[in-house]
Amino acid sequence: MKATINGRHVEFSSEQTILEVARDNGHFIPTLCEMADIDHTPGTCRMCIVDVNRAEQDKSQLLTACDTPLEDGMTVRTRTTEVRHHQRLQMELLLADHNQDCASCSRHGDCELQDTAQFVGLEGTRFGNKDFFVNRSVDNSSPSIQRDMTKCVRCQRCLAVCRDVQGTDVLVYSGKGVDAEIGVRNNTVLGNSDCISCGQCTLVCPVGALAEKNDIEQVIDYFYDPEIFTVIQIAPATRVALGEEFQMAPGSNVEGKLISAFRQLGADEVLDTNFCADVVIMEEGNELLQRIQNQSVLPMFTSCSPGWVNWLEKNHPELLENLSTVKSPQQCFGALAKTYLADRMQINPATMRVVSIMPCTAKKEEAARPEFSVDGRPDVDVVLTTRECARLLKREGIWLQGMPEGKYDNKWMGLYSGAAEIFGTTGGVTEAAVRTVHYAVTGQELPTIEFKAIRGMEYMRQADIDLGEKGNIKVGVAHGLAAAKTMIEQVKSGQADYTLIEFMGCPGGCMGGGGQPRTKKKYQSLKNQRREAIFQIDDGASVRQSHNNPCVQALYDDYLGEPLGQKSHELLHTTYRDKKVKVHHNIKTIWEDIRG
Amino acid sequence: MAKIVIGAWNELKVDNRGKQFFEIEDFNELVNFNEFDQGNRIKAFFGGRGFFVFDKDISVLGAISDYLKKSACESCGKCTPCRSGLRILTEKLDTICDENNYEQKIAQIRELAEHISLSSLCGLGQTATVPLLQLLDNFPDVVEKEVKSCAVVSNQPGHSYLTAPCIEECPSKVDVPRYIDYIKDGKHTHSVGVVLQKYPMAATCGRVCVRFCEMACRRTQVDDAVGIKVLKRFVADQEKYATEHWFSKDLITDPKQDDLKVAVIGAGPSGISAAYHLLLKGYRVEIFEAMTEPGGMAAVGIPEYRLPKEEILRKEISIIEDLGGKIHYDQRMGRDFALDILIDKGFKSVFLGVGAHKGKEMGVPGEENSIQGYISGVKFLLFINHYHINIGVDMDLGDKMIVVGGGNVAMDCVRSALRMGVKEVHLVYRRSRNEMPADIEEIEAAEHEGVIFHYLTHPTKVISEDGKVVGLELIKMELGKPDQNGRAKVTPVDGSEFTLETDFVVPAIGQKVDHSFISPDEGIEFNSWGLIDADEQTLQTSRRGVFAGGDAVTGPATLIEAMAQGHQAAESIDDYLTYGRPRFHPERRFQKLLKEMRELQSEDVDKPIRHLYRVKVDELDPEIRKRKFEEVEKPISLEAAYHEAGRCMRCYRVYSVVTEK
Repeated sequence: MKATINGRHVEFSSEQTILEVARDNGHFIPTLCEMADIDHTPGTCRMCIVDVNRAEQDKSQLLTACDTPLEDGMTVRTRTTEVRHHQRLQMELLLADHNQDCASCSRHGDCELQDTAQFVGLEGTRFGNKDFFVNRSVDNSSPSIQRDMTKCVRCQRCLAVCRDVQGTDVLVYSGKGVDAEIGVRNNTVLGNSDCISCGQCTLVCPVGALAEKNDIEQVIDYFYDPEIFTVIQIAPATRVALGEEFQMAPGSNVEGKLISAFRQLGADEVLDTNFCADVVIMEEGNELLQRIQNQSVLPMFTSCSPGWVNWLEKNHPELLENLSTVKSPQQCFGALAKTYLADRMQINPATMRVVSIMPCTAKKEEAARPEFSVDGRPDVDVVLTTRECARLLKREGIWLQGMPEGKYDNKWMGLYSGAAEIFGTTGGVTEAAVRTVHYAVTGQELPTIEFKAIRGMEYMRQADIDLGEKGNIKVGVAHGLAAAKTMIEQVKSGQADYTLIEFMGCPGGCMGGGGQPRTKKKYQSLKNQRREAIFQIDDGASVRQSHNNPCVQALYDDYLGEPLGQKSHELLHTTYRDKKVKVHHNIKTIWEDIRG
Repeated sequence: MAKIVIGAWNELKVDNRGKQFFEIEDFNELVNFNEFDQGNRIKAFFGGRGFFVFDKDISVLGAISDYLKKSACESCGKCTPCRSGLRILTEKLDTICDENNYEQKIAQIRELAEHISLSSLCGLGQTATVPLLQLLDNFPDVVEKEVKSCAVVSNQPGHSYLTAPCIEECPSKVDVPRYIDYIKDGKHTHSVGVVLQKYPMAATCGRVCVRFCEMACRRTQVDDAVGIKVLKRFVADQEKYATEHWFSKDLITDPKQDDLKVAVIGAGPSGISAAYHLLLKGYRVEIFEAMTEPGGMAAVGIPEYRLPKEEILRKEISIIEDLGGKIHYDQRMGRDFALDILIDKGFKSVFLGVGAHKGKEMGVPGEENSIQGYISGVKFLLFINHYHINIGVDMDLGDKMIVVGGGNVAMDCVRSALRMGVKEVHLVYRRSRNEMPADIEEIEAAEHEGVIFHYLTHPTKVISEDGKVVGLELIKMELGKPDQNGRAKVTPVDGSEFTLETDFVVPAIGQKVDHSFISPDEGIEFNSWGLIDADEQTLQTSRRGVFAGGDAVTGPATLIEAMAQGHQAAESIDDYLTYGRPRFHPERRFQKLLKEMRELQSEDVDKPIRHLYRVKVDELDPEIRKRKFEEVEKPISLEAAYHEAGRCMRCYRVYSVVTEK
């Protein structure tokens, strides 16, 4: 079919929208709510007004491009004076009930609403009124995510990602008129809800309505307090994404620069979470072998993704015994830093503060779990997401690109293997485990180090591992909670006969973590570059298997004894709880809510 | 008929300001527009296409400002122009008299109004500013005069009403767009809650409703009607705990005096609905049911494969008991007790929902109730659904059966017969497939399951031997030209008689009310169709305090119509017991008003809209299902429900009237 856009002929297929065809042909139309990557076209912002002449119709009409199909013989004009006038007016109306406290906003300088306002050439805001947003929620109940609905533009991307991509379906649309906002199911706050803190919603929010909880101030306090010994741990997925915030090429590895940056900021010890990823493999690999040997509960589920652990506790408490009892690398790090490291470095653990740099919002909630503190002192004191880390550096005047390449130098916890680094992508935990389990069972390293059978981006994958005389075991991988949900259904119905399943709460694993840098108008568009960088780090590592990490070997020889030993259980293992949210409805409250 | 002073509706403009009132010609498209309620003149009317003013002394701008406030208040807040724009516009109108720069102010108001209308996402925003724009375009002098003389008056006496075509077509006036919105919004509890405002049988209705709403759906102008019924079933199934946990006596906030007892005769759809609303209003209610199970025609008439009784129907009816209602089973009025006795026992009002359970006869020779193998459709279904499935009584139906009729009852009979193991099931209908009143889905399902259809065929004689049916003589019919109602006459083709051998003949050609529930001296009158004579507005019978509804009043109709009448009767009974007389219900008046001006409201979808195909409901395979009573239609998935809900165009419209008082 043929039509004309801005005087140029375009060809298209039926049921394509004006917006799609315009984009394919290089005609930019301003949008705000739409997000093609998650197939989200709610048609709520109404920014994409264009002038349309249907075939055989004299008069043109103004229509929205996102929800209008292009028709054969249509003439579309995207830049007439009238079109621009109405787009500008729409932006004024969008800003009228938006809390325009831009200077303090978490999206300052990185806001899609501001971008759109710039595009339409906004000259002023005639209609802004505080009364229009005062009734909306500001919710700080979650340790991970802040909801500031005074900024919400009702694009509903968060709802779509929570519902369709993650299948968690925690968010709902609430209220009417200017009081309307994205609410939490069952009229509660995020902290009491089924939310699993994955933070995918914060990746798609175009404005500052959804963001990670801001914990930067606390970290600055630590740096500038001479009594405090600050230990930084850097998670694998953060080093390959942080550069994006400093205009570096996607997939740049900024590990060395970040080490230098933290040292300059006053961190007393800069370390890597990867060391503990190696420790986790030692524990988890042995736990798996023990489960196989004792014929106890299988398949074993991995437990390093806190979003996933939250989801299982809230949705399938009956399967908690399948979950590996090993703490996540972050928590293993916290526990070892305040015992082993403090002991070796002769530092009073009471003055030590552990700060994690994580790709993840759920890690904040994980660190705050009561089971992860000793005598009221948390093992991990503060978690900063990759985005907060960037903000912290900018606040302290550090431009990452210019930093020198630093190196880890701690002799107890300063080394990590390539296996640990790949924890940062889906399939990585499994691959790391396979490298070590194969060695533990057969006494030999894998013929090829990489276990590529499990690599990939399909949401559910599987592979067989040949364990020599112990036979084959089948491993499964699921990333993103929609896939996890399907996988769990298969496990429950007996369709899946895996021995080990790696679950990651976020699509892509930590590459696509909820705390990673945002990509405006796009969803997880840089995850492949980030992932490539991770594999490159593994490729170039001198040690490729967790059990070959000399620091890990020393840890077991000098301190822990053996994997799954008593000390390990004390420091590195945990238990889980049924956290199913139980809600009792009655028709009276529902009717009251309906009547408003 | 109405005399319009000024008006603008669609392209029409009426200006009679220069004329004396008696000189103004009647505007015939507006029927019964003189009074809103008794002695209360309609002075102006506003809707999504324009407005009519019948009294020059009202403040038109003030009324439009109120109309916009109502719209702003109903805005769902999703799209920008309707959410912010309407709110800003109403504030501009509120302060218009205080300002000097008239031209500038009006220009901004027009700019906003046009923008909201052209860029809003749904029908509410697209139509909300139309009356204002009509006024600005056609009568700028009226605006200027009101503003400059500070004569903009808000809150003039009157009423407003929010509705949509699907709501108006629904007998129960279920707020369809709202329950679909709540699905989109992720609030499934609220979605069921909207349906439960009207009746307790949401999952039942979600399975068997005839869907007047879908016939009115404006989406048919784009692709197919929204799957309104299937969405209702989806949420009702999703929130199945509703029937177990959501209702209790604690809900009743305004209990009435203990002696204000109401008796409901029949636990069918109308009776259950009446009892539900009376209980919620705080009355003590006792239901008297002739059968040993509840549900009336929904239980004994609708087959299990369309409506599971234990899992769905009975659970929904149990809400009545949760609310403190009592159901007395095996209590047939006219056999076990009489109307007078109920009144003597202290029931202050009675609702008769006795249904129409007696099969109509074909009126052909050889048709006798006493012969074996002859049974009316409604009785046949009763035997299967109640005595066979429920109680376990065996039935010998032979190998061949002929069902006569073309409605849903006939379809239920043939499909049930297959499931009972009858090898050869015939359906005889005197017109062609196109004229069949049964739902097309039911006809197709029966075809898929292997029923043999004989169209343009009519029975002429039941043939029996030794008191047992052996065959049915039939004659071919031909269709004539359609008459003025569009219905073609059928005439027998001479000499085309033929005989089909059969073990059973089942006429399913209609039902009538069994009058044995009442004796002539009890003051209940019947009309010439043998139906209970009840007032259209109040459903009161010829006896004071006794109300009636459902099939006994309408003749054999639908679940949704029966439930609507039960609700209507409950309101009338409440009025009667509280005030001793019927009260005026503004919403019902609006419904009547709108029905009478339907022509003026019809509107085409005037812009291109993306096709989104209607959800496909999975069914059990015909070869498997035709031998069992398991539910045929499978539930839809959550994803499918979200998709289907997204197809609703939300054709909400606000209407308002300014009245004398």
